[in-house]
Amino acid sequence: MSELRKTDADLEQRAKQLFDASVANLDGPTRAKLAQARNRALENARRPSIVATLLMPPRWVAAVGTVALAAIVVLTVWQGGGTPERPVEMAALNDLELLLAEDEFEMLEELEFYAWLEEQGELPQPTPAGDEVG
Amino acid sequence: MDVALRFLPTTRLEREETLDQGHELEAFLREVEKRAFRIAAMMIRDADEALDIVQDAMIRLTVRYRSRPREEWRPLFYRILKNRIRDWHRRRAVRNRVLSFFGGHDEDETDPMAAVPGPSEDNPLEQLEADESLAALAKALEQLPARQREAFMLRTFEGLDVAATALAMECSEGSVKTHHSRAVSRLRELLGEQ
Repeated sequence: MSELRKTDADLEQRAKQLFDASVANLDGPTRAKLAQARNRALENARRPSIVATLLMPPRWVAAVGTVALAAIVVLTVWQGGGTPERPVEMAALNDLELLLAEDEFEMLEELEFYAWLEEQGELPQPTPAGDEVG
Repeated sequence: MDVALRFLPTTRLEREETLDQGHELEAFLREVEKRAFRIAAMMIRDADEALDIVQDAMIRLTVRYRSRPREEWRPLFYRILKNRIRDWHRRRAVRNRVLSFFGGHDEDETDPMAAVPGPSEDNPLEQLEADESLAALAKALEQLPARQREAFMLRTFEGLDVAATALAMECSEGSVKTHHSRAVSRLRELLGEQ
């Protein structure tokens, strides 16, 4: 068992050495492009979020808005003679919850981010949904 | 002009904090960019695409996660990078399916040598051997399931500890250990070391 572990460790060590060497031997043009990419990223970090400033309300406003809209939907469903437990109506409530989730505000920031990328002429291809981080 | 110096302040305290954060971010990105590029290039075998992916990951980290604690930047950065690489593979799979449906072929064939570094002027023969070994390792890594590959690269190449790898991979620490152990074992088989 210890011999097996030793060879495992050897393999990892060799793999790391190879990888480190490949990083150290990175060519000049690639290094320059990476430096440009880093500078662009840092430029982004200093940009104030216009959309967030203008459109993102304080958290308490969002919370009150959520409650108010949920109440409207519940009242509408109730006055319509249905029971809120019905699947379609519950789905509508769930949809509302999803729509009002904070992620939607993040999406506005994303739009701003992509608008900026477009300005730079470097808009990447669209990516599929379902990616929480990144 | 140093980009980090151009962060716009409002108050003196905020200016100092922002400058500090700017410098820290710059140092962090400088530290990870080349390694991230190598990982991306090994995984997608296309240097230009790898550059785009690394740039995207850097921008996303600085825009969305710069206010997170400094110790979280590395796992978060690699999580973004991992997701971008996965997205790239998904897009490519879809494109290939569409092209094959219409009887076409992918004109954007990736260069299998793209993951291999350029020749070293110091010792070309030694460099050639290293390149061949790296190419064999990259090929073996490609044959691993995605989760095993990610665990191996983050733990072995990047030296992330189990907790940071779990954060990057969005899984439990136990899963990281399992994926990593299986990856090493499978790599030994693939590289003829057992």
